[in-house]
Amino acid sequence: MNVQFKKGALELCVLALLDKQDRYGYELVQKISDQIAISEGSVYPLLRRLKNEEYFTTYLQESSEGPSRKYYKLTSKGREHLHELMEEWERFTSGVNQIIKEGVNDE
Amino acid sequence: MMNKNQFLNKLDKSLQRLPYEERKDILHDFQEHFEIGKEQNKSEEEITKSLGNPNQLAKELLATYYLEKVESSSSTANIFRAVWAVIGLGFFNLVIVLAPFVAIVGIILAGWITGGAFTISPLLFLINIIFFPDTFNYLDMFSSIALTGAGLLLIIGMYYVTKWLQNGLIRYLNYNVQLVKGGMKSD
Repeated sequence: MNVQFKKGALELCVLALLDKQDRYGYELVQKISDQIAISEGSVYPLLRRLKNEEYFTTYLQESSEGPSRKYYKLTSKGREHLHELMEEWERFTSGVNQIIKEGVNDE
Repeated sequence: MMNKNQFLNKLDKSLQRLPYEERKDILHDFQEHFEIGKEQNKSEEEITKSLGNPNQLAKELLATYYLEKVESSSSTANIFRAVWAVIGLGFFNLVIVLAPFVAIVGIILAGWITGGAFTISPLLFLINIIFFPDTFNYLDMFSSIALTGAGLLLIIGMYYVTKWLQNGLIRYLNYNVQLVKGGMKSD
């Protein structure tokens, strides 16, 4: 898939994953790369950018297995932004799907 | 194939320009990534491979950092650093960022220089009649005074135009960093 597309969608993926629960960086990266082929490292610059935009805050929490982990927590501003992006995404994909349906599938 | 230390060293080296605290924080995130990966029985080499190229990552981190700085204080130096960092992301950006940037700088410079020259034109008029007293005429004198008025208006206008172009440029850079390829895998 085209890289430009994916990069735009990555932001939406990160915010969506944080909607229901706080997660740590590694977990976010794995969840995304399970579904989409990305360079895993590029999630971290994105996380920093979205934190600068105040879409989430971070806190450290001890883990039973090893060193403490940095958790990301969505702010209300972030949740608002997530809903905007979801709406945009919905409009965009339903538009594209409609065009495919008319253009390709119709005999 | 790189191991953890090679990866982190490379990243650290490419981020030398960042303040120490910022760099430490970034490296800490990746250290954590390595440690959790190893707990899940992945080798360091596997982890570096899926993380991607540290140099490209560093470019993205630099661009993110400078864009954040330019938003908190949009000094000329910060703007230049941000533009430079975004251009560094890849060849595509060289074209779509450098060209509008040069155009904007051109417009801003031209406006300010014209405004400045108009404003000081009575001074130029005075200098002229000091050296060539016989060229004095009222038309020149009054038109130079009128130009001062126009110049002052232009300068006030340019103040707002510069602000506006600056904000536009910063938004455009942000948009670029969000959209343009950088560390993404194409398949």
